[in-house]
Amino acid sequence: MTARGLTPSLLLQLLVVAGAAGARWRGQGTTPHLQSIILGRCAEYDALVNPDPRGRNCTAIWEAFKVVLVKDPCSVLPSDYDRFIDLSRHSIPRDKSLFWENNHLLVTSYSENGLRFLPLCSVLYGRIGDFLSWCRQENASGLDYQSCPTSEDCENNAVDSFWKRASMQYARESSGVISVMLNGSEPSGAYPVKGFFADFEIPYLQKDKITRIEIWVMHEIGKPKVESCGEGTVKILEERLKKMGFQYSCINDHLPVKLLKCVDHSTHPDCVLNSAAASREIPPLWAEHGASHIVPFLVALASAVHM
Amino acid sequence: MANHRCGSVSEEEPCCDISKKTKICLCVFFGLLVAVIIAVPVGILMWRHPLQEWKGKGTTAHFYEILLGRCYTYTQIVRPELGHKDCQKIGKAFTTAFLSKDPCSSTEQDYQPLLELTAQTVPCNKTLFWSKSSQLAHDYTRVQGDLFTLEDTLLGYMADGLKWCGDPRSSEMNYQSCPDWREDCSNNSFSVFWNAVSKRFAEDACGVVHVVLNGSISNTFDERSTFGRVEVFNLRPEKVHQLQAWVMHDVGGVHSDSCSSSSVNNLKRILKERSIAFSCQNNYGPIRLLQCVKNPEPSSCR
Repeated sequence: MTARGLTPSLLLQLLVVAGAAGARWRGQGTTPHLQSIILGRCAEYDALVNPDPRGRNCTAIWEAFKVVLVKDPCSVLPSDYDRFIDLSRHSIPRDKSLFWENNHLLVTSYSENGLRFLPLCSVLYGRIGDFLSWCRQENASGLDYQSCPTSEDCENNAVDSFWKRASMQYARESSGVISVMLNGSEPSGAYPVKGFFADFEIPYLQKDKITRIEIWVMHEIGKPKVESCGEGTVKILEERLKKMGFQYSCINDHLPVKLLKCVDHSTHPDCVLNSAAASREIPPLWAEHGASHIVPFLVALASAVHM
Repeated sequence: MANHRCGSVSEEEPCCDISKKTKICLCVFFGLLVAVIIAVPVGILMWRHPLQEWKGKGTTAHFYEILLGRCYTYTQIVRPELGHKDCQKIGKAFTTAFLSKDPCSSTEQDYQPLLELTAQTVPCNKTLFWSKSSQLAHDYTRVQGDLFTLEDTLLGYMADGLKWCGDPRSSEMNYQSCPDWREDCSNNSFSVFWNAVSKRFAEDACGVVHVVLNGSISNTFDERSTFGRVEVFNLRPEKVHQLQAWVMHDVGGVHSDSCSSSSVNNLKRILKERSIAFSCQNNYGPIRLLQCVKNPEPSSCR
């Protein structure tokens, strides 16, 4: 899972800001109004998405999160978020976990806001951090709104440590059938051998709670299939899971997800449905204005038959 | 030395062994005590239950925090081109529209300052209306990021799914209950808001606009829906030259041609009278694919 899930417009902003200001770090600066966004997301989760009968204390959750904002931007460890995770964690329903690499937006669309699946970005702690960026200034106490360190700048940066800690928690609390969505059109390989899934999720999966693991290797419509099940890095993943003793299966272009990808390419040959083809073949009689032609025809036919 | 403060105590009547002064103090003290005993519960009752009781659900818990959080998320992350918007001001304008007011006498004027602060240009040909098809329409704009339903605009995004109302005798939001449109009153702060924003959304639309309709119900085009009552009548014919309807049927359900149904023809007639062209398509491909994502089994999805 990419740490910040940058949309194209965010990426552009990042380039503009970083380029213009001669920024210290490579990553996007702290999101403005961070506190309001986080409090709002927590409140919304509690009021509308998944209310906690014991009642969540969003102020306490924010206070727990805040502790990393006073630390040196390259000295934030995953364990610094322990208290935050403790206050915001909640159980994940069986069979609903969805892990992924290199398809953040597709996962968000497919999981339907947690209705169909509950990926990390749909559990409270994941929701709180989704698309946000934060770090303290290097030599001062305030937040740095210009830029924040990425893993290329330093390993123990606030955002990466957050996602490492969140990923570990998410993996630990997952149970039943585990689904994994990989991008088989990604040039560097569908399964990043060094990545959040590989390093902070797989090692924390609880074997005794998991029945099996289902891998979906999705390919971009109309783009080359770099890897499929049993190939390249996917093969590495399969072997790793086998060695760990997990039951697993792999599907290329899992149909429901493929249909979702097709929404943007509905006329592509890979995407044409039988029903779509059928409706195009329906004679013009049934088109919007067609009925007005068939009635006189039938009347004429009927009277001809009666003669 | 005679003192008649505590009633007519004749000097001749002996009472206990306390002095007159002590008696006076005691009388005053007990008098005050009685007054307090009566006044406090009444005060508490009046203070704690001043709010009117309605038949609908109350204001959403943490309404203001959610509102602000959504405003910032939208203006900083979803549509960063609106990053200049002042969410504090917007939040204040929102609550000012209904706090301390009778929730059954809401008017569009109440929401004018809020509407002005949240003005937003939706590009031409990108407006998507919906009626009885909320889930599907929003699934579609989630994937097709350049299309806008009302709930994809700043104000719609902020208010979606929330409930709110105030009370004339309090400066607080009423978390207990809010007026129900049918059982209490139709000019309630919630309904008036959605009518006002829907009207503006339609007024701002330009080019070719679309609507997702539900072909699996009998009243595919419902004249009493917000789309039928408000949006259709506020499209500007000088800006909108065509409305295209996508009538979607449930997957695996009976395939009927709703484009030529009487309710859709009614829509066509209304638009014709307003000089807006109309076209219709049954089971528009991309949205059909979305339906199949939820239900890939039927043969029509293979």
